[in-house]
Amino acid sequence: QEPILSPAARKMADEKGFNPTDIAGTGKGGRVTKEDVMRHADQNPVAS
Amino acid sequence: MANQFDVVVIGAGPAGYVCAIRAAQLGLKTACIEKWSDDKGKTLLGGTCLNVGCIPSKALLDSSHKFVEAQKDFAIHGIKHEGVEMDVPKMMARKDKIVQTLTTGVGGLFKANGVTLLEGAGKVLAAKQVELTRGDGSVEIIETANVVIATGSRPIDIPPTPVDNDLIVDSTGALEFREVPKRLGVIGAGVIGLELGSVWGRLGSEVVVLEALDQFLPAADQQIAKESMKIIKKQGLDVRLGARVTGSEIREKEVHVTYVDSEGKENSLIFDKLIVAVGRRPYTEGLLAPDSGVNLDERGFIFVDDHCATDVPGVYAVGDVVRGPMLAHKGSEEGVMVAEIIAGQKAQMNYDLVPSVIYIHPEIAWVGKTEEEVKAEGNEYKVGTFPFAASGRALAANDKDGMVKVIADKATDRILGVHVVGPSAADLVQQGVIAMEFAASSEDLALTIFSHPTLSEALHEAVLAVDGHAIHIANRKRR
Repeated sequence: QEPILSPAARKMADEKGFNPTDIAGTGKGGRVTKEDVMRHADQNPVAS
Repeated sequence: MANQFDVVVIGAGPAGYVCAIRAAQLGLKTACIEKWSDDKGKTLLGGTCLNVGCIPSKALLDSSHKFVEAQKDFAIHGIKHEGVEMDVPKMMARKDKIVQTLTTGVGGLFKANGVTLLEGAGKVLAAKQVELTRGDGSVEIIETANVVIATGSRPIDIPPTPVDNDLIVDSTGALEFREVPKRLGVIGAGVIGLELGSVWGRLGSEVVVLEALDQFLPAADQQIAKESMKIIKKQGLDVRLGARVTGSEIREKEVHVTYVDSEGKENSLIFDKLIVAVGRRPYTEGLLAPDSGVNLDERGFIFVDDHCATDVPGVYAVGDVVRGPMLAHKGSEEGVMVAEIIAGQKAQMNYDLVPSVIYIHPEIAWVGKTEEEVKAEGNEYKVGTFPFAASGRALAANDKDGMVKVIADKATDRILGVHVVGPSAADLVQQGVIAMEFAASSEDLALTIFSHPTLSEALHEAVLAVDGHAIHIANRKRR
């Protein structure tokens, strides 16, 4: 299923060039929050 | 020659001035060109919205609504008074003062943010040069790294009713009547026609709104449109659908209008004033040099992509002059997006969630998809509704006409649309916009605490009704 991103998460994922399906969402119902994108960036320093 | 500016914005309406302010905030050397000036030659900032659109019309809608309340609704609260009169020039002066405060405010914001105001007409030349023609006729070429076109829109004229700015006016003229016309005709039952018709109807005009389409508010959810029509009729606004205006004639200070109704029958009406509010068109007069490289689409809008980029790199266009709904908040957000893109950010705009509002009373507002659109897509969906007649807050306010409607996807429960006619509709819909930005399900909102007693509870009950467990109305039996 398509991941659901908050507006800020969407922008940050786009800026960092992440594929949203790679990011683990911890928000309500598995939503990807801005914090999730930041955490993903920390764990994947190469991507940024 | 070195660039004088990083960004030159042409037009200081809601799209242009917001873009200029945002660009300056981002450290870009920014200029904004505006050619509109008052009769004393003072440049007017704020564009259509602040000067002859959103703000003045809302000022008159609020004044006229208070007049109606005092006249018709005070008695129910036990408030007695000796009779209420409206001083139209005073109402207009209040409106003018608000407009002046806000437009002057834009100038203050430009100064505070370091935006250079260039007074005159801007023209886009080739190679991102902008030609500025000042009021005194002097011409200057401005070099810039980026151009943002935000030249806005103008009212559409129709041949049967040429605007003479005396008896036949456009929306601008309708905001300037010095007395209440006895018989007022409005062509067009869209947002502008309904709002202006309401203002003068409340002050005593006998209003007839002639709409060529057979359908009322075709962009709105049709259940909401139907409910709105019922309320409007009850308030005394005579809206005639399927009425195609064929001609007009001015005889002894009266406008004689002929129209063909949906049965093909010729009718004629006599008005003291006629407002032409059939729509608005993009405004690009004198804007583009033949070799500018910027292209228009077949309807006269500047052709842009999803990021408001024109066919020329570094030249953008935002607001009413490009595709999409002609709404101030749409233009402003495009302005922000473009400023951020120029500054190197990955900005984007969510065109799916631009809310619409009609500021009659009660308000009509919506966001997302209508039931008709969802049905046409063939997806299964659920609907929850709640009437304000069952809202304690609405009853206390003596403002109980209307309803909230929420549409959700049947499989995922994701909210697809929020539609409201009723008190504070725009604010309730805004709660839906926020929820939908976060891809909320109807259950997400159902599980959220709403203050009691508030009008917002009508949204809560409507999302509860989506799954058949609204508390304060009998739920429809679920199939």
